[in-house]
Amino acid sequence: MRVSRSDPWPQRLRERLTGWLLDTRGMGRDLWVLFALTGWALAVPHYGSEFAVSMALSCLMYVALSTSWTLFCGSTRYLSLATSAFFGIGAYAGALTLEQLDWFGVVALGAGCAAAVAVVMGSAVLHLRGTYFAVLTFGMTELIRHAVTYWEKKVTGTVGRVLTAVPERDTVYLTVAGLALAALAVSLVARRTRFGLALQGIGADEQRAMTLGVNTRLVKVLGFALTAAFAGAVGAAMSVRWTYIDPATVFNPFIGFQTVLIALIGGVATLWGPAIAAIVFSLLAETLRLQAPQAYLMALGLLLILCVLFLPGGLASMRWARLRQWRDDLRGWWRERDDKARRAARRARQARYGVGP
Amino acid sequence: MASGREEGVAVNGHPLLEARQVSVRFDGLVAVDAVSAAFAAGELVGIIGPNGAGKTTFFNALSGLQQPTGGELHAMGRRLTGARAHRYAGLGIARTFQTPRIFGGLSVAANIAFGLHFAGRRRAGAWLLKDEHSILNVIGLAELEDLPAAAITPSQQRLLEIGMALATRPRLLLLDEVAAGLTEAEIDSMAQLIRRLRDELDLTVIWIEHAVTTLLKYVERVIVLHQGRKIADGTPAEVVRNAEVIEAYLGDELAQAT
Repeated sequence: MRVSRSDPWPQRLRERLTGWLLDTRGMGRDLWVLFALTGWALAVPHYGSEFAVSMALSCLMYVALSTSWTLFCGSTRYLSLATSAFFGIGAYAGALTLEQLDWFGVVALGAGCAAAVAVVMGSAVLHLRGTYFAVLTFGMTELIRHAVTYWEKKVTGTVGRVLTAVPERDTVYLTVAGLALAALAVSLVARRTRFGLALQGIGADEQRAMTLGVNTRLVKVLGFALTAAFAGAVGAAMSVRWTYIDPATVFNPFIGFQTVLIALIGGVATLWGPAIAAIVFSLLAETLRLQAPQAYLMALGLLLILCVLFLPGGLASMRWARLRQWRDDLRGWWRERDDKARRAARRARQARYGVGP
Repeated sequence: MASGREEGVAVNGHPLLEARQVSVRFDGLVAVDAVSAAFAAGELVGIIGPNGAGKTTFFNALSGLQQPTGGELHAMGRRLTGARAHRYAGLGIARTFQTPRIFGGLSVAANIAFGLHFAGRRRAGAWLLKDEHSILNVIGLAELEDLPAAAITPSQQRLLEIGMALATRPRLLLLDEVAAGLTEAEIDSMAQLIRRLRDELDLTVIWIEHAVTTLLKYVERVIVLHQGRKIADGTPAEVVRNAEVIEAYLGDELAQAT
């Protein structure tokens, strides 16, 4: 759709702003939700308690991780378990340079290191599919974790690192909030560009996408690096919250698993599903962790099973129509059961009195 | 059909696509054995051969999906050996698959648009079919554009495959058994469509078909593959008289057809 000079200016402005996108349907709604989320995220430190801010921080961390994971892994259907590797690399890169670089540099370095590792790792394993890819990314994560542990012990003679020059609480909070919103904004836009279409084509039929002109290898490595950059930046920003880091904390495989589970439960084909699931699960995790740490993991596992069985598109694919269908199914089942009971009663009456009703 | 075109035009003195001694080996099995063939602009060539003759493997090599283990491929004078499939698509070599490989989750129109956004960006100005609507009109699926591609019938999916290939704005169209499973009438209209595309869009078409008699009616040149080797290359009339072809493959079926 081309716009000429004679068109009214709002139309020209819109063309200038969104003309390069492939599809702008539903974009207004997404932008409004993002806007509202930004307002909420910025407001929390002003009225919230210490506990509320730490809870919001954890929510935003998983929003950033699972949204950026979904951006690549959701559309291409590459199940990457390497999130904790990128998170840990970012955390370590940040921790080592915390005293030399300014805060922005620390986070950027975390993102850069993670992306660089992702380019190498991606070039090596992105031609594999399915289980092989998942297992290899997990194996590489473990390899990196043990390499860092070895390096800590043998080379520097330490176990972990104490972070001294940590920035203020609000700085960390705003950084992670910025990363979460950036992940959402990037996903929102990328889904509507050629890059997003290429990722989708790779997920649907990679060879077919190639024969239609997609440089699949390049797109996959770039997408994987983009996901890793977000995880690395989040790692660098979050590590200062702990003041002491060691490989076991920042390369914790649970971070990677939880990211994947949240994305799957939320719905990997959607923009908002993983973000909503991230918020729900972080709140659940924070509240349950104190009272019943096992209950949280059980809830996560149970929900995953239910989602895979009944909602393969994730929570975000839940619509009123589906709820109504479930209700009707239940009602139908109930009625049938009722009918059966009534027929049985009638048969019993006939047998006893020998007459029909 | 009198198209008035000069047959066998070369691009800048080079054939559009040339295979030189192309071989594909899978662990001792020779699927394609030193096949050489040149395809000039505007040709409509058929490739026939019994099951397992290496037709589809040869196509995979011509479209970059299968790296040849020997020999060379040249397109318009450029050496293509070792390039990956998206480069072939970018140079204007488009293909369809034996079993339609469409994006079932996308709408029919979006399936076409996909190619336009990638390989098809290259010749955006110089191509007769401007957008997905004109392509849908040509292949006759304009009414189905909003349906999900998984919901249309198999024969419509075959047409959609051709539309997706056209969306890359190709010079050369590789058709892998597009008539398989179609009725006699459908095959005839498919053949009409293919000739029309060739004539109106200046395409070169290479068409593999298992059903020989069908193919021989429509193409101007036939290449016969047998056990991976090329055993004949000529007009349908020449090929049906070729003793080796008759012995290897055609036999009685052809004697009845001619």
